[in-house]
Amino acid sequence: MKYYQPTSLTELFELHSTLSAQSSVFLAGGTDLIPRYERGLVMPDHLIDLKKLSALNQIQDSESHVTIGALATIQDIQEHEILATEFLALHKASYDFAGAQIRHRGTIGGNICNASPAGDLLPALYAFEAILTLSGPAGERQLAIKDFILGPGKTALREAEILKSIVLNRDQYLSDFQKVGLRQSMAISVVNVAFVFSRAGETFNHLKIAAGAVAPTIVTLDKFTQAFVQNGGNATAIKDLIQEDISPIDDIRATASYRKRVLTNLIGAFLAGQTR
Amino acid sequence: MLHHTSPHAFQLSVTVNGKLVERKILTHLRLLDFLRNDLRLTGSKEVCGEGECGACTVILNGRTVNACLILAVEVNGGNIVTIEGLAGTNELTELQRSFEDHHAVQCGYCIPGMVLTGEKLLERNAHPSRDEIKYELSGNICRCTGYHKIIDAIELAGGDL
Repeated sequence: MKYYQPTSLTELFELHSTLSAQSSVFLAGGTDLIPRYERGLVMPDHLIDLKKLSALNQIQDSESHVTIGALATIQDIQEHEILATEFLALHKASYDFAGAQIRHRGTIGGNICNASPAGDLLPALYAFEAILTLSGPAGERQLAIKDFILGPGKTALREAEILKSIVLNRDQYLSDFQKVGLRQSMAISVVNVAFVFSRAGETFNHLKIAAGAVAPTIVTLDKFTQAFVQNGGNATAIKDLIQEDISPIDDIRATASYRKRVLTNLIGAFLAGQTR
Repeated sequence: MLHHTSPHAFQLSVTVNGKLVERKILTHLRLLDFLRNDLRLTGSKEVCGEGECGACTVILNGRTVNACLILAVEVNGGNIVTIEGLAGTNELTELQRSFEDHHAVQCGYCIPGMVLTGEKLLERNAHPSRDEIKYELSGNICRCTGYHKIIDAIELAGGDL
């Protein structure tokens, strides 16, 4: 296995074009890739380490949005002040994320590109309707995160393309994140959910709920929120209302019916807390 | 260590415990294997091998990381501190002494990782609460002590017994 550390996107794409595409793999934090490599699940001839692409590890803000470089670590996200104040759901997800050693190494780009149904940063990114900037030999393009993640481990990345940054609009929404796992720390989520909202008195002006580990990808509970608003904010039938948005499965961590119940309770607790 | 792909050599240059080390290594070598086998720094342990337990914790460029999840080539040009180098020219750090004083060690396998994680926490926050200590230690697993004495040792490091 040959190892490369390109320092610019131009160098990266030039390098990639000279390698046989099937056998090269991009490396960011490595917290998922290295164990998979050790088990023989990935066997690249060429390992392209992205960590020297310094343009990708900044978190930048302007008046209207925050742009998170794909190489920003979970720890970088946790420590960022604007993210902690204006994007609380994302901050809380980074706080509940694995342990310190993994947070110091794992990147937001890796969490997105792994496209795990349970990825802990993902519900917040869906609920904030994050826009992803992708960079490839043919140039840049942007995609909404919901159009980028196609299934478990599957993304819309094209040949040689990488995720460059994540753009969040500074809409000044309130937000929250909840995660339920089999233990408090270092556990893959049984259900995780982010709420992004704004309110005028008793009613929500804006409500976006995104949940993980209840479908092949993160889902936004749009049918639920629509029905909930039409119902005049009646929170009694949550379990029936979320039915159409989710398709949980039984696995080693939990059953489908348990996941549905947990999500129902998390949504109920959130709504109760807001209308108290 | 499995060899899934054809071996390639890499000239590695890295500072370990304050000394510059230059070695020719194979690209698929994990940092943990480099430290333990090539440098004979066996304080960093392998237990789970997949980043769940923290027994292989080392400090890379000022941050705790799992040496089992990193290839040695990735740390080229970097700075690593292992449990062997933590106290520098001193025999033990205050925290290491506190682990002794509070009987925080049983089998000892997790302790190098616990100490390094605790040391970085105390560097940022000299008087962490027990909850802050537990949060920071959540990537380090111990199967003997029940954690109480380890938390005591970090909470009371540098204080009088």
